[in-house]
Amino acid sequence: MIYLIGFVSAGETVSMSDVTVCCEKTNSGLYCQDVREEDCSPDANALPTACASTSFCKPGFCFDSVEGTCLDNVPQMVCNNEDGTWKSEMPAQCELGCCVLGDQASFVTLTRCKRLSSMFGLETNYNKNLKDELQCVMSARADEKGACVYVANPADAQPTCKFVTRSECESESSTSAGEEIKEKESSENESVLEEALGGEEKYGGTLLSPSDAEFHAGLLCSAEELGTDCGMTKETICLAGHEEVYFADTCGNPANIYDASKVNDKRYWSEIIDKAESCNPDASNGGSQTCGNCNYILGAVCRESSSTTGRATYGDNVCADLGCEDGKGEEQMHGESWCVSPGADKVGSKYYRHSCVNNEVLSEPCAEFRNEICIENTISTSEGDFTQAACRVNRWQDCTAQKTSEDCTNNDRRDCIWLDGIEYVLMGAAMNGSTIDKNSLGALREQVKAAGGLKEIPRGACVPEHPPGLEFYGETATSTATTEGTATTAKTGDDSLGVCGQANAVCPVKYEKGLIGGEWECVEHCECLPGGELEQKRVQLCKSMGDCGPKTNYIGVSGSGKGYEVKEVENEKKKD
Amino acid sequence: MKKEKRGRVLSKRGQVAIYVMVALVIIAGVIVIYFLYPDVVTGIIGGKETPQTFLKSEIEPSVKDSIEVLSKQGGYENPEGYIMYKGNRVKYLCYTSKYYEQCQVQQPMIRAKFEDELKNMIQLDVETAVDELIRTYEKRGYSVSSAANPTTNVEISSGKINVRIKAPMTFSKETTETFDEFNIEIKSKMYDLLMIATSIIDFESTYGDSETSLYIQYYPDLRIRKIKLGDGSTVYTVEDVITKESFMFASRSLVWPAGYGIYG
Repeated sequence: MIYLIGFVSAGETVSMSDVTVCCEKTNSGLYCQDVREEDCSPDANALPTACASTSFCKPGFCFDSVEGTCLDNVPQMVCNNEDGTWKSEMPAQCELGCCVLGDQASFVTLTRCKRLSSMFGLETNYNKNLKDELQCVMSARADEKGACVYVANPADAQPTCKFVTRSECESESSTSAGEEIKEKESSENESVLEEALGGEEKYGGTLLSPSDAEFHAGLLCSAEELGTDCGMTKETICLAGHEEVYFADTCGNPANIYDASKVNDKRYWSEIIDKAESCNPDASNGGSQTCGNCNYILGAVCRESSSTTGRATYGDNVCADLGCEDGKGEEQMHGESWCVSPGADKVGSKYYRHSCVNNEVLSEPCAEFRNEICIENTISTSEGDFTQAACRVNRWQDCTAQKTSEDCTNNDRRDCIWLDGIEYVLMGAAMNGSTIDKNSLGALREQVKAAGGLKEIPRGACVPEHPPGLEFYGETATSTATTEGTATTAKTGDDSLGVCGQANAVCPVKYEKGLIGGEWECVEHCECLPGGELEQKRVQLCKSMGDCGPKTNYIGVSGSGKGYEVKEVENEKKKD
Repeated sequence: MKKEKRGRVLSKRGQVAIYVMVALVIIAGVIVIYFLYPDVVTGIIGGKETPQTFLKSEIEPSVKDSIEVLSKQGGYENPEGYIMYKGNRVKYLCYTSKYYEQCQVQQPMIRAKFEDELKNMIQLDVETAVDELIRTYEKRGYSVSSAANPTTNVEISSGKINVRIKAPMTFSKETTETFDEFNIEIKSKMYDLLMIATSIIDFESTYGDSETSLYIQYYPDLRIRKIKLGDGSTVYTVEDVITKESFMFASRSLVWPAGYGIYG
């Protein structure tokens, strides 16, 4: 029941042993799934083969010619139904290149680059020969910026200004000037309907040719020598794609990085000052009232002032500290992540990756049944240690097949540990349910004999380093559901006996009795008897296999039974 | 002396009570007049209402409500193939029924689907709003002629959602004005969220999982919640921390069974 409280899966699932068909559409509305025949919608195609072998559900690449995005593993019919272009092999349109967007870059397809460029009103600048994302990002350099001075309205002698790149000044000054005039005039319009209807036709404004705009590289619009109508203010702005807080001039243009000590400094309002030469360039400046030189890598970014972000001395924006405090009261930087494993290896427990994102600690569970573990690593930076964590697959499945310590602890291939001194080979196969299979025992004797005796067999056991969880409870969560989301559950069995059973072992204890009577007495391997020194070792082995043996669950409650059993079975008795 | 003081206090309290009562009567009166003669109130408070602003005020709440529904259901109004999570029918945008295999993409064009669903959801409200527009202007003394039912087109792009209503109509009073279509623009970060969802689906279908911290480097305002569930499904919530807009969707990819998965 606990399993179903948080969510109800409406999708069909199959086990390894199920006989499946390729179903075009399942009962729950999923496309191109290999499911049991009864899970396939009656109106849909169903072929007794894998979907990858069919024409309609064959997975391939789907290209979105509008957005320029490309997705792999898309069934042909799904892509075609959505007006995409489907190919079994990666089409040329899906190849990535470097798209330069102003002073930023994106590693995308050519179509995507065109789309983004048009969205931001930029010319397409695409380099298909640059095949490395990092190089692409590094290649984006800010164009030379400066004050673009122009006369918006010929009747008005005073020029105005926009802070843009040289190319923007040359190519767009005419447009921007026109728009500005249009806005001004339409706001003066009295007629409500005319304003809505005729604005665009009537108010074209006076368009300026590019030659009318003068570009002053390295200067701000508020520079006095330009003689524009843009002056100094105490206002600040955040700019898209930039982390810093900037002063804004009276025309709304960005000026230099906000520095409270420079609010009236005319030089600071004239020339562009580099980030490295602005206030506190080596600090994050998170929460600073006086400096807007936010450093995103160090955990601060420009945000609107609020009770949580803090307030600056001037303006409505501040460098917001994006860091967090973890559960232990320790400071974590924005982007840091770390592992949390409450009740690790207990029944029902799982690993978690916590991360600090935008002032909030996010908890991301790794896969259920401890099929994933959380790993973390720390690097040292000038600002202190920086920890990164990730959930990754728990490679426990072939631990018990390893016969030597060397193979067992090969971390490149598996996550296992070698338990030394657990005597006798693991003899899960010698057990059949709760009774000893005497035939298997005979075979085991042969194996021991072939190895050259019991002493030649390695004394140790290879077990999972992170014992997996097992779906041992009554009903599995495998569900078949309708489109209405009603879940039905069906018991399909579990393999907990198979996993835990590998810890079963048979210990041949030898008893002797005198010729002239007396009691049977243990003479060989007596440590195997109940309460003997081996019992606890074997319990430890049992617990290492997974959710086996005497364990508690993740809230600390013990199982209903003892969790293991030591059985004495009389195998062979010599007659008195 | 004491009595006099008390009397003054009482008279001041009485004055305040009278002011409050008068204020309440005025407010109640305005409300009653507004409901009886909405145009009069609009005229008095001097609102420069255009057909454009009228439609925007009528349709914007409907658009926002629809976005709210779609954003919690993977972009579908009535999803099929979903997982019920915290009361939401979260659509699988990528799914595999099998173990050890990457998912099959169920919805490749997420933005286009979102636009389509949003358009269908608001169509009825658009028609009602256009009817209401005509009625309102006729009450104001305009002669309004309009063509057939309005058609709606939704376009989601960076920073905004545009709703274009093609409803040719002519308003005549002292002058005649003709409209062909109305454009309602709503500021929204949904485009970015949908494109990030597309990127996550790309990771899920290619590698079977996604590394959400990669996005932090490029999107300072982004927060991605990733919850893995017991059946191997993952529910993602992509959120803009500034606008608080979010988009929720599910995926089931590269699932490992409990144990050896023989019975599974």
